[in-house]
Amino acid sequence: MPRIPTALLRKARTIDAFLPALLAPCRDLHTAQNELRWLREHVEKVAKARRAKRDTLVKGALLGQLVRERAKGKPLQYLLGTEYFGDLEIKCRPGVLIPRQDTAASVTHLAKLVRTAPNLPAELRVLDLCTGTGCIPLLFRHEFTSNRKDFDLRIVGIDISDKSIGLAHYNLLKNERIIQARAGMTNFAKADVLADPFGDLTIGAPLPVRSMLNHNKWAPFWDILISNPPYISPSAYWKTTTRSVRGFEPKLALVPPPKSKFDDRQQGDMFYPRLLKIAEEVEAKIVLLEVADLEQALRVAQLAQKLDVFDGIEIWRDEPDVSSSQPTNEDGFHVYGEGNARSVVCWRSEGGSWLGKSSSPKPPELLQDAPEETSSNSYWPPSYYQSNEVNFNAMPRFMWKRHMGDQRGKPPTRWRTPKTRWREPA
Amino acid sequence: MLTTPWVCRSCLSRIARPLIRRQLRHQSTSAASESIPPALLSRARNIALEHKTLTEKLANGFDTKSAKKLGEYSSIVRALEKWDKANESVTELTSLIHDSTTDPELRDLAADDLGETRIDLINASQSLITSLVPVHPFAHLPCLIEIRPGAGGSEAAIFAGDLFRMYQAFCNHNGLRTSVLKYENINGTSEAGIPLSEAIFEVETENAYGVFRCEAGVHRVQRVPATETKGRTHTSAASVHVLPSLQENSAAQEDFDDPESDYYIDIKEVRQEVMRASGAGGQHVNKTESAVRLTHIPTNTVVAMQDSRSQSKNKEKAWALLRSRIAQARREKREDEIVAMRRSVIGVAKMGRGDKIRTYNYGQQRVTDHRSGTTVHDLDDVMAGGQTLEKVMDSVRSWLMERDVEGLIAEEGDTN
Ligand SMILES: C[S@@+](CC[C@H](N)C(=O)[O-])C[C@H]1O[C@@H](n2cnc3c(N)ncnc32)[C@H](O)[C@@H]1O
Repeated sequence: MPRIPTALLRKARTIDAFLPALLAPCRDLHTAQNELRWLREHVEKVAKARRAKRDTLVKGALLGQLVRERAKGKPLQYLLGTEYFGDLEIKCRPGVLIPRQDTAASVTHLAKLVRTAPNLPAELRVLDLCTGTGCIPLLFRHEFTSNRKDFDLRIVGIDISDKSIGLAHYNLLKNERIIQARAGMTNFAKADVLADPFGDLTIGAPLPVRSMLNHNKWAPFWDILISNPPYISPSAYWKTTTRSVRGFEPKLALVPPPKSKFDDRQQGDMFYPRLLKIAEEVEAKIVLLEVADLEQALRVAQLAQKLDVFDGIEIWRDEPDVSSSQPTNEDGFHVYGEGNARSVVCWRSEGGSWLGKSSSPKPPELLQDAPEETSSNSYWPPSYYQSNEVNFNAMPRFMWKRHMGDQRGKPPTRWRTPKTRWREPA
Repeated sequence: MLTTPWVCRSCLSRIARPLIRRQLRHQSTSAASESIPPALLSRARNIALEHKTLTEKLANGFDTKSAKKLGEYSSIVRALEKWDKANESVTELTSLIHDSTTDPELRDLAADDLGETRIDLINASQSLITSLVPVHPFAHLPCLIEIRPGAGGSEAAIFAGDLFRMYQAFCNHNGLRTSVLKYENINGTSEAGIPLSEAIFEVETENAYGVFRCEAGVHRVQRVPATETKGRTHTSAASVHVLPSLQENSAAQEDFDDPESDYYIDIKEVRQEVMRASGAGGQHVNKTESAVRLTHIPTNTVVAMQDSRSQSKNKEKAWALLRSRIAQARREKREDEIVAMRRSVIGVAKMGRGDKIRTYNYGQQRVTDHRSGTTVHDLDDVMAGGQTLEKVMDSVRSWLMERDVEGLIAEEGDTN
C-alpha cells in the first residue's frame, strides 16, 4: 500500500491529534474526518449510557483506544457494532461479514421491481442462501412491505455458520418493528449450500439445504432465490481485497473452500453451480446472485444459460437503479446500471413479469415431464411435510427418479408450477 | 419597536397558536396614526364586498377554492368592522364636542371619552393595515437555517460557530424543536472556539420560517480574536440563510407533485450520485463512505450530504435540502421582481442576502440591527439566545411589516 504523504499527515495533525492515525485505514482526509466524527458520537453515546447507570467513563481514553484499533485496520463497523444497509441498521460482530452497500442496492432494486408486480402469488416465498448477518431477508422484507401490506411474505435465510445464524436472529429481533416481521414469516436456519443432498451424510455435519427445509417442515418451493455467496478466488483474495477485509473479516465468508483438481478460478466460482441447482430444485422464478466482477458475471450467466431453464438472464451493476443509462451488451447479455458488474439475475415463467419483462408464458407442452396433478392445494402431498425423514413414497415422480440415481429420463425442461398456488389477477 | 405605546405581540406566541396567527398580528409600525391611507382603506372595502359575494355563493353550495379565500379574507373583514366602529365613535364624539348646542357637561364627558376612543382607533387602524399585508407563503413552515463563515478567515469560522450556538440556545429557551442536518468543522465537535465550516439545522416547529426569515443575511462581528496577540480588533462576518423546510410530512408535501408549486422538482432533472470506492467494490472492501450528492441540472444546484453513516439517511436529507433551496430560489426570484417594482416607487431597501444586516460589537458589548436601527447592549444575553435576541428579532419583524405596508400602499397607488 502506498505510503501516506508526509504533508497530508502534517495537515491532519494540525486539525486534530487523532486524525493522522485514521489516515492509514481511510486513505483520505475527508473520510478520516467523517470516521473521527462518528467515533466521537459513539463515545458520547457510550458515555451517556454509562452515566445512566451511574458509571463513569474516561471519554478521551475510550476514543484513543478506538482510534488505535481503527488505525490497525479493524473495520469501523465492528468498532461501532453496526452498519447501515438501506434504511436498516444491522448489527455486526467479528466473525460475520459486514454487509455491503452494493448488496443493499441490488436487493432494494429487486424488491422495488417485484412489489409493484400485478400477478404475485398470495404467499410469496424468498430464500436467501449464505445470509451472514441476515441483512438481505430483512431489507427485502422492509422494502417489499413498505408499500404493500396485502401479502403473506415468507423469507428464510440460510448460513453454515452458527455465529451468523445467531446474529441474524438478533437482527430480526432488533428490526422487528420496522420491517413488519409479523406479516408472514422470517426465519433463519443452518445448512450447507455446498453439501450434496444425494451424497453421504456425515454425522454432525450441517444438512444440505433441501434436507434442512424438509427437516423444518418448510415449503420445498421458493419463488425468489437470492444469494451473496463467498465468491473471491484465493489469488484475488491476496491481490484485490483490502487489508482490513483480510485481517478482520472471516475468510469463510469470502473465499470458497479448496477442492482437489479445482484451479483458482473454479474455486472462486464454486458456489454458483450449487446455487443454480438449488434454484432449479426449489423452482425459483427469480434468481439474484451477487458476483465479484464482469468476468465472473459472464461465467455465471453462461452457466445459467446452459441449464436451459431460464427465460431471461441479465447482469446488474453496483447501482442498477440508474434509469437514465441504457443497458450495454456483453457477450449477448444485457448489463444495467452503473459501477462494477455486481449481480446476475435470471428469471423464468411469472418471474419475468414480476421483473417487468414482457415475456410470453411458456406453452403447456413444455411441462410434459411433470407428474399428474395432486388434488391437494399444494404440489407436495401432506405426508411430505409431516415427516422428518425424506418420505420417498410422498415424493413426486421425477424427483424420486433422480433421487434413486436414475438419470435416464430427461430432466424436465421447465419446472412445473402448481397452479393452485396462484391467485387469479383481479 | 421597543418604544411603541401598544403591546407588540411576540411572534413566538404565534408559534404556540398557529391557527390564530393572522388575528394576533398586531404589529407596530412607526407610521402609527389613527388615519389609514385611502388606498388601503379602499382595498379593504373591496375585499369586504368580495367576502360578501363569496359568502352568498357558499350558501348555495360548497367549493374549496371560495372557502379558502373566504378564510383568508375574514380577518380583514373583522378588522374593517372594528375600524369602522372606532372611526364612527371618534366622529360622533368630535361632532358632539364641536356642536355649540351640546350641553357643557356632556361635552366634558365626550372630551374625556375621546382620548380613549382615539387609541382604539389607532389600534384598529394598525390591525386593519397589518391584516392587509399578505402572510409570507412559507411563513407557516418549519425552516432550515444554514450558517457559513464569510470574510475574515478562521475568526469568521469561529463566529459562525457562535451564531450556531446562539440560535440553538434561542430555540432551546423557546421550546422550539431543532435537529442538526449538517455540522462541519475540522474535528467533529461543536465546542466554542472551534472554527465551523458549515452548519445546517432544522427548526422543526411550524411557523419557524416566519420567525427566523428576518435572520437571513450577513452578520458582522467586531472583536479581538483569541489568537490576536497585539490586541487589535478585527472585523469578520458569517452568513445566515433561512430556507423553508420541506421535510417529509411537512405541510407543503402535498404540493411536491404539483408542477405549479414552488416545491415541485422533476426527479428526471436531478442527478443522484453516491460515493463509491474506486476499485473492485463488493466483498473486496468494507468502505465507510456514505456520501450522497444531488445536482439539480436546470439550476445547477448542488447538495452534498455525508454526516450520517447511513447512505439512505444522507439521501433523505439531501433531497429535503434540495427541495428547500429550489423553493427558496424560486420565491426569491419573484420577491426580487416585486422589490424592483417597489423600489422604483418608494425605494424600499432589499432585505437579507448579501446585505450586512447586523453588527455584534464585543468591545462595546452592543448589537445593532442595521435594518430596524435597533441597538441593544446586553451582548452576552444575545449570544446566549436570551430575551435580548428576541427583542432584536422582533424589531426586525416590525420593520419588515412597515416595509410591507409601504409596498402595499405603493402597489395600491399604482393600480388605482
Ligand atoms: C459473502 S457472505 C454474505 C453475507 C450476507 N448475505 C451479506 O450480503 O452481507 C457469505 C456467507 O456465506 C456463508 N457460507 C460460507 N460457506 C457456506 C456454505 N457452504 N453454506 C452456507 N453458507 C455458507 C458464510 O458464513 C457467510 O456468512
